[in-house]
Amino acid sequence: MHGNSLRRGSIAGLPAGSGGALPALVLVGLFFVVPVVALLLRSVTDPEPGLQNYAALFGSGTYVRVFLNTFLVAAVVTAVTIVVAFPVAWMLAIMPPAFGSIVFGIIILSMWTNLLTRTYAWMVLLQRTGVINRTLMGMGITQEPLPLINNLTGVTIGMVYIMLPFMILPLVGTLRAIDPMTLRAAALCGATPFQAFRRILLPLSLPGIAAGGLMVFVMSLGYFVTPALLGGTSNMMLAEMIAQTVQSLLNWGLGSAAAFVLLVVTMALYVLQLRLVGGKRPAGGL
Amino acid sequence: MTKPFLSIRAVRKTFGAFVAVHDVTIDVPKGEFLTFLGPSGSGKSTTLYAIAGFQDPSSGDVLLEDKSLLSVPSHKRNIGMVFQRYTLFPHLSVAENVAFPLRVRHRPDAEVKRKVADMLSLVRLENFADRFPGALSGGQQQRVALARALAYDPPILLMDEPLSALDKKLRQEIQAEIRRIHRETGVTILYVTHDQEEALHLSDRIALFKEGRIEQIGTGEDLYVRPASEFVAGFIGNSNFLPAEHLETAAGAATVRLADGSIVTGLTAAEPFSKGQKVRLMVRPEALSLTPGPASAALAVDIVDTAFFGDRRRVVARTPGGDEIDVRPTSDTIDPAGATAGSGQRIFFDPAAAFLFPA
Amino acid sequence: MLLDYNRLGWLRVALAGFTMLVAAFLLLPVVFIVLLSFGSSRWLAFPPPGWTLKWYQQLFADPAWIDAALTSAKIAAMSAILAVVIGLFASFALVRGEFRGRQVLRGLLLTPMVLPVVVFAIAAYAFFLRIGLAGTTVGFVIAHTVLALPFAIIPITAALEGFDKSIEDAAIVCGASPLQARLRITLPSIRIGIFSAAIFSFLASWDEVVVAIFMASPTLQTLPVKIWGSLRADLSPVVAAASSLLVGLTLCLMIVTALLRRKLSR
Repeated sequence: MHGNSLRRGSIAGLPAGSGGALPALVLVGLFFVVPVVALLLRSVTDPEPGLQNYAALFGSGTYVRVFLNTFLVAAVVTAVTIVVAFPVAWMLAIMPPAFGSIVFGIIILSMWTNLLTRTYAWMVLLQRTGVINRTLMGMGITQEPLPLINNLTGVTIGMVYIMLPFMILPLVGTLRAIDPMTLRAAALCGATPFQAFRRILLPLSLPGIAAGGLMVFVMSLGYFVTPALLGGTSNMMLAEMIAQTVQSLLNWGLGSAAAFVLLVVTMALYVLQLRLVGGKRPAGGL
Repeated sequence: MTKPFLSIRAVRKTFGAFVAVHDVTIDVPKGEFLTFLGPSGSGKSTTLYAIAGFQDPSSGDVLLEDKSLLSVPSHKRNIGMVFQRYTLFPHLSVAENVAFPLRVRHRPDAEVKRKVADMLSLVRLENFADRFPGALSGGQQQRVALARALAYDPPILLMDEPLSALDKKLRQEIQAEIRRIHRETGVTILYVTHDQEEALHLSDRIALFKEGRIEQIGTGEDLYVRPASEFVAGFIGNSNFLPAEHLETAAGAATVRLADGSIVTGLTAAEPFSKGQKVRLMVRPEALSLTPGPASAALAVDIVDTAFFGDRRRVVARTPGGDEIDVRPTSDTIDPAGATAGSGQRIFFDPAAAFLFPA
Repeated sequence: MLLDYNRLGWLRVALAGFTMLVAAFLLLPVVFIVLLSFGSSRWLAFPPPGWTLKWYQQLFADPAWIDAALTSAKIAAMSAILAVVIGLFASFALVRGEFRGRQVLRGLLLTPMVLPVVVFAIAAYAFFLRIGLAGTTVGFVIAHTVLALPFAIIPITAALEGFDKSIEDAAIVCGASPLQARLRITLPSIRIGIFSAAIFSFLASWDEVVVAIFMASPTLQTLPVKIWGSLRADLSPVVAAASSLLVGLTLCLMIVTALLRRKLSR
């Protein structure tokens, strides 16, 4: 009864048209904001009040290495994703829809397929006795199986696979928004195809590349499943470390501190990305 | 005509079964301002794109000083172009836009700087060098596009409906600008438009396109005064058409009978007609007057409406057959106050200023 | 000319070739898993020495797999329904409401999509442990609804923003009550958005691993948790069979989506 009257009172006091958001606000507030804030508080209270968890996090070579490795993997994945996605997005932006829709279909299929299924497939493909190693050895390119899994190579391949659709799809939008006449004008001005690419097409698609790249980078930073299954113990990433610290070591204070670091970095980059997408003037490549 | 500088030889462009351009042939002397005029879809832009290298013609050739352009990629054709949408590079400043063609040609910095300054003063945008295209009005953007297209002294400048995105006042302003620049630089200009006034105002010669073919090519005056077909007469300037029946042609002067039975003689025929053939008589509104001249033909009409436009008066008349006639007497041929609405009046024209076309 | 498909010359060949390579790269693992699930090799040798259905038989003979699939379906269905209903109300407020802080509210409701799942996973796990919801269906559904909500809000707000409100007003002028106008005019008009919201929020829960790993109990496992456990143990071909069924499900969803979209947008 008490809760009911309180709710009714707050609805009356609420600004126009905001009532519908109340269930969502309650859900997210109670089961998202409260738990996350509680977790963050734990990083400065568990096992005792103070900043000792952060001191341990930044004082230990092991954890600092995890941070560095996380950034390294995210950076490599982002760079490779951009380089692979750009030509595909370019082609998709201009090719006749009949062919394009097949490629779009494949991208959607890959994106919608269960994450574990895709990662599992790469585990099988990349293992020592997997198809890729057998093929390479069969062709005589290598004598010994290459170490493709449980290392940076495996994580990069698996992550790029997952991130590609998130880069390709928005880039197609960016490229379609560029007037083809602009490129024709550049050609008539005397620009060779390479000059037109470097001086016009690339700078004009840079806002899309930057926004998509930041999104891929942010998602990669916090990724758990794929690095855990395709990566090695020597190059653990932050998300896996957080899970392990809490689940196996039951060190909630340290895990929470690491989670807080991840949260701050992610949210900061997210806000930056929103700025990029919202910004009117192209960022420019001058 | 001097020796052709640019020569378009039997250019044909098909898209599947659709023929967009039918074997168009034109010779353009150096320094000419030639306009491709025509309704949309008449093949004028397609012809221009073949010269620019955006589309390969299905057959035919484009020669510049006797050398074929077709195997030359766009970026080596050394042609300037101004587009309908301004197509400035949005991430480059005005100065860098104008400098772009010079930079990709690896010209020395000092030359680039000087040339950019020259070009910006040519289009009177000296004070806008550091602005970005997004901060300019449409007219200013189009002037930057003009400066960019002329920066590398191309022998030919193509302009694809460059004024159609601008409002009327700006259009007139930039038209004057284009005339001045053509005069000052002497560049050969191929200009595409669907606006006949623009074409008349700017061009040395006009090629009027219809359904992929050139209907008539000549000076604006040629097309206006001596239209080769009803289409030309209808497209350039205003005109009145009256149904008539051809009676005879003697010594180049044709005689017809109009729908109301009156006979008009001394007309110019566009082609030979047989006796009794149905024809259409065309007369320009300003060739009509309310007072008889020395050798006038007369039409019996009802005057439906008169309106005053300051420098002239417009009179709407109707023949007994129901055809409306637009009359715009020039001020020296009429007492402006003389025209009032009413039936049973007469209007006059000189048969030498009228034409006959097949119906 | 770089954006004219017909004027790219050799570059077009290069780009098209590269695009086909990437398409093959994206398709390869999916096709590969399906092929392997019918292969007879216990060690997933490729090409398989023979073809068999025994991995599917093992899969269907194991009640743990069936249970996990049913649990997943149940949780995903409930989460999707909740997310769409809550998201629908929220979207009306976000699009139509006139109050300060609307953008902040939108940002807040979309945050669960951006925040690394692992952070939410351990936070929710600790919180649910304390309030006694860890390892329960209710706990699962709540956590997954939080995660699915952004996937419901984004398409619905997009559809609502594209809908001309004056049509709803016209219905009210015609005598419909505001509620009738929304139910009979607005909702049918944004049905494609609602439909997308349902699909996306269902998938958000159905495919969710990280929260599920923490929330699962020995008696309550979702399909991804079951697969995760099998992957950590060994690369059994039974997982390939389960994965192939998931691929099949994805294909069905894609086809249904395409057909419904075509029908609804008519």
